[in-house]
This record gives sequence, C-alpha cells and structure tokens, in this order.
Amino acid sequence: MKKVTVLMLTIFLGMVTSHAQNKALLYDFYEVPQSLMLNPGVRTPYKWHAGIPLLSGIAVQAGSSGVTVNDLFANDGVDFNTKVREKVLDGLSKNDDFGGSGQIEVFYGGFRNTKRPNDYYSFGMYGEGFIAQFWPRDLAILAFEGNANNLERRFDLNHIATQGEAVNVFHFGVNRKLNNKWTVGLRAKLYSSVFEFKSVRNDGYFVTTQGENNILRNTLVADVTMRTSGIESLFDILNDDDVAQSVELPKWLLGRSLFGGNLGAGVDIGFTHNIGRSSYVTASLLDVGFIYHNNDVKNYTLNGAATNEGVEIVLPEDASNLNADIWQDLIDDFERQIPFETDERAYLSLRPIKLYSSFRYNFGERSLKSKVCDCGIKPNTKTDSFDYLNAVGGQFFMINQPRGPQAAITAFYQRRLGNVLALKTTYTADKYTFSNIGLGLNVQAGPVNFYVLADNLLGYPNLPDSNYASLQFGFNIISWNGN
Amino acid sequence: MKRGFVIFLFVPMVFMILQSCADEQNFDQFDDLSVEPTLASSIFYFESDEATINLAGPGAFYTQSFTFEAFNESFVAERVLDGVIVYEVENTTSKELAILIEFLDAGGTVLDSESFVVQPEPTPLLERQIAYGNGGRSLDILRNTTNIRVSGDNLGDGTSVSSASEPKIILRSSAEFRLRLR
Repeated sequence: MKKVTVLMLTIFLGMVTSHAQNKALLYDFYEVPQSLMLNPGVRTPYKWHAGIPLLSGIAVQAGSSGVTVNDLFANDGVDFNTKVREKVLDGLSKNDDFGGSGQIEVFYGGFRNTKRPNDYYSFGMYGEGFIAQFWPRDLAILAFEGNANNLERRFDLNHIATQGEAVNVFHFGVNRKLNNKWTVGLRAKLYSSVFEFKSVRNDGYFVTTQGENNILRNTLVADVTMRTSGIESLFDILNDDDVAQSVELPKWLLGRSLFGGNLGAGVDIGFTHNIGRSSYVTASLLDVGFIYHNNDVKNYTLNGAATNEGVEIVLPEDASNLNADIWQDLIDDFERQIPFETDERAYLSLRPIKLYSSFRYNFGERSLKSKVCDCGIKPNTKTDSFDYLNAVGGQFFMINQPRGPQAAITAFYQRRLGNVLALKTTYTADKYTFSNIGLGLNVQAGPVNFYVLADNLLGYPNLPDSNYASLQFGFNIISWNGN
Repeated sequence: MKRGFVIFLFVPMVFMILQSCADEQNFDQFDDLSVEPTLASSIFYFESDEATINLAGPGAFYTQSFTFEAFNESFVAERVLDGVIVYEVENTTSKELAILIEFLDAGGTVLDSESFVVQPEPTPLLERQIAYGNGGRSLDILRNTTNIRVSGDNLGDGTSVSSASEPKIILRSSAEFRLRLR
C-alpha cells in the first residue's frame, strides 16, 4: 500500500507539479499570456490578464530517448527478454534518459501600469518539477549479465545519474517596451523547494580481473553521492502507521510549498528586438538562480577504493592468528576502505538554466496601419501587437542537464485567423525525436482565452511508440490594449 | 487560396490527433522478465611455505576454521540457482601434501568436504570444479554454510627441502554463481 502511495505521489509530483522543459509552441506565441513566462521580454498586447486559478496553465511532458513503450510491450509475440536485450541493454547508451515533467499554475495575473503604459507587470505562483533518470548502462549490464563473463571489463559508476524535484515558485516580472525596436523584461523568482534528489557527476568503477594471489580480484573504486532534501520527512510520514496519511501528506506538501521547505531565488531575463520592418529576434534566459537546501537534508556517499581476492591465510604470517575472525576482518576492511556514509550537510543547488532564442519573420497582409519606426515610445495597442497574418521562423532551446547542455531546434509557422483564432505549428528536432511536429491553438472568445498546445503529433496515432509527448492548456481572462 | 493553405496545413494535424490510437500493448510481459547474472569472486586463498611445514613435521601442520558467510547471506541464499566452485592447488615443495576443505554449518556439522592430495614437485597444477545445483551437489550445502575449515597434512617427511625457489603449497579458490534477481 505504501509503495502504491509513494508511486502515486511520485507521479503527482513528477508529472503534475513538475518542471517544464522545452515549450517550443508557447515560446513567443504572445496571444497567450503564459508566453511571458518563457520570455519576460515578449511583446505584451494586454491591458491586464487573469488566469483561471489552477486552470490557467497546465503542462505535462514525458520523454524517453532510445526506447519506447511499444518497443517493449507491443503484443507482438516476441519474447520479452529478447526485446529487453535488443532494445534496452544493447540499444541504450548512458546518455539516454527517461523523464517526466510538468507545471501547474496556481494563480497568474498581470496588468499594465496606467501611469507608465509601456510597463506591464505580471505575478503569480506555480508548482513545477521533474524526474530525469539517465540509463545506467554499465550497472544494468552488470545486473543482467554479472561479472563472470565480463572479466577485465570496467563497469563505470559515472553512468549513475538521476535527479528530480518539486518546487513551488513565486514570481513577479516587469515587461517594458523601450521603443518600437526593443521590448525587455525581468522576472524575480522565489523558490520553495518541496523535495529534491540529485545524484550526478559520479565517478568510479567496478572491475573483475585475474588475481595476483587468488584466481580472481574484484576492485571497486567509488565516488558516488546522492543528495536529498525533503525526502526523509516524506518517508517518515509514509512509514508511520499511526498517522493518517491522507491528512499528513497534503499538510506536508502544502507546508513545504509555502516556504516551509528550502528556499532560493532566481531571475528570468529576456528581450524582443525588431530588426527591420517585419523581423524580430528574441531571447530569454530562465531560472538563473539557486536553492539553498538546509532543511530536512540527507546526503549519501560511497567514497573510496578496495580490492578483494577472498579470505587469505598465509603461513607462517597468519599462524599466530588462529582465533582471529578473518571473515569479519575482511568485511571491516572493506567498509573502512569504502565507507557508506550519510550526513545532513546543507548544500546549494543551481537551477536548471534554460535558454530560448528565436528569429521571426512576419508576412502577409498586415492589419497594422502604423509603421514601425524609431520615432519614439508609444503604448502598445492590440492591433500593433498582432501586426502579422503569417509568421515563420526558427527557435533554439537549451537546458542544463546532468550530462551537459541539452538542445533543441525548432522551425515554426504561425497564422492568425481574424481576432478569434491563432495557430502555430512547429517542427522540433532534439535528442528524443527528429519527427516532432507540434500544433498550438489559441482561441479568443471575447475576454475568455483558451489555448491548447500539443507536441509530437506524429506520435499520437500510436502513442506507445512515441519517444516524446507533451501537452499544455489553460484558460485566461484578457483585457486587450485599446479596450 | 490562403484559407485553403491553412486548411491544408492544420486540418490533417487535427485529424491526426483525433485519429489517436495505439498498437495493442501487453504489460503482463513484464512478469516474464528474467534477470539472472552470473557473479564471480575468489573465495579463499591458502599458502604455506615449506619451512613452516617442516617445522610442524610429518602429519597435520595446520587446521583453521573461520567464519564464512558469503553463501548464507540472505541475498545470495534466497536467489542462488546454481554455481561452480573452482579449486587450484599448486605444490612446489619436496613432499606429498593433503589439503582438506570442509564446509560447516552453524552447529559445526560438516556439510561438504573436498580433499586434495598433491605429489611433490615437479607436479602439475591440480584443478577441480565442483558444481552445485542443477545436477550437482545440493545448494543447501552452500545456503547453510557459515564456516570453512582448512586443514593441511604433510604426508612426507619433515626435513627435505625443494630445489624450487620459494617452495610452497598454495590453494586458490573462486566461485561462480548464477543468481535469480528477478
């Protein structure tokens, strides 16, 4: 029962309040106020906006590089162990990963400064998190094959890389139109970490070789660390039979979300620059910040080096040790050479920084009557912000991951249909797939705004065979400039 | 024209979403997953030089019983499917020697034993493989072994000295066991 509870909680925290990755469809799709969250310097055609609480922004994403559900579980009559061997053990590398992420906005709003109409302020709170597990290839081979038939092979411990977290974020941002060429933005963030676990940058190996004295020699060199915060208190609740978990778990989640866990700070910055009559360059840097974990911290380390050739009795040296417990001595030596230790030392965790940039070219019959010029600063109007009928361009995304930066490139086409409908379609290539076509739909029905964005549509006809899927949707109330 | 282009571009995508379906999946296949690694490690190593054997004279020159709980550790005992213990005995002394290995349970009862008699040098390396489980000796021997007793007997004299450099009796041993992790 507890395992089920942990699983459910993990799914909830991992998939619902989890950390959003590449949101290519939402980026610069500025009909949707949530595009501000990806670039604080995006153009803002709103007088004010208010997200429907808990429904303004819901995003889930899951991906696995290298193997799909269908690869393993298709009812195709192939022996399951054969599929595991071919698709997983032989097919995946240490850089392949499995992950889920997502985000839910609790509340989100924004308003234009009436005295400084070029400033647009936004604020809100959202929960996000993610789980990323890199494939521990060498350890998997060791588990499936063992070391007997892998003599002299080093099983690298740096294949161990996993991390996950759930964090609640409070934010306030300022978006300023400097002139008709430049719009810039800055957002300050306060992080309240619910939990985090992270084991990255491990090192070491296990190898079995021919022994110097005995037949075989096993050698373990380890420098492995797992840092956790917020996990111990969670397991305390789950392991305590005397507490009502249905009461304590929400209390735990709420408490740690609202500054009862570990705190941090960060910023987002971004800009939009008009480089000609119809072309725009944008960029943003998100989550440049940290969380300081000093509450409910538990770290695990395995650090040292040991070799073993079994129990050794060498005469005459050991003739006087007839009563010694040489087995226990062997165990003690091993534990002394490679101690498995825990501590509660505080640590600093950097946020996974994300970089977006784009180039955009608008074309087609423009509804805009005004011309773009350097002739001064003037307030946005709804029409001059939607000064396109069609737009094409490219986007670039990069995120800092345990195995180094992970990038994606996107080509997009965007189309407005009157004042009601806007569509955006994307083609994205990243480590998960080279056939990711996405479609975003924004509907403006009076003040009510609804958007839905779905990635990797080619995977939908057979979702289990897809390496990647993501979905975002939400409802907002928007008052436009000029209204 | 433009409306047609939009319809051409977007309608098939929407249609694709609505067409969402999936190949039939059978998650019960996971129950068939078999994880059975073969793990190998040295067990123990015994060495005595000829001077020590001569010092004890003919007959027993060494007996030692020591705790050995690698086999009856629950992780191994509950998962072991079969395995092989490999022994190598090398004698470069000038005398015939006997080595006896006994596997004992917690009460001191001998569950299994293996004896080796090796001729004086020059004599080839003696190798022996003992299978457990799967047609070999009972795995319960290993599961219940908590101690190993090593005994050495000098079947020759107590004065002769081998012409080999650093004459010794050496017993090496290792084990390979297949475990069912799943």
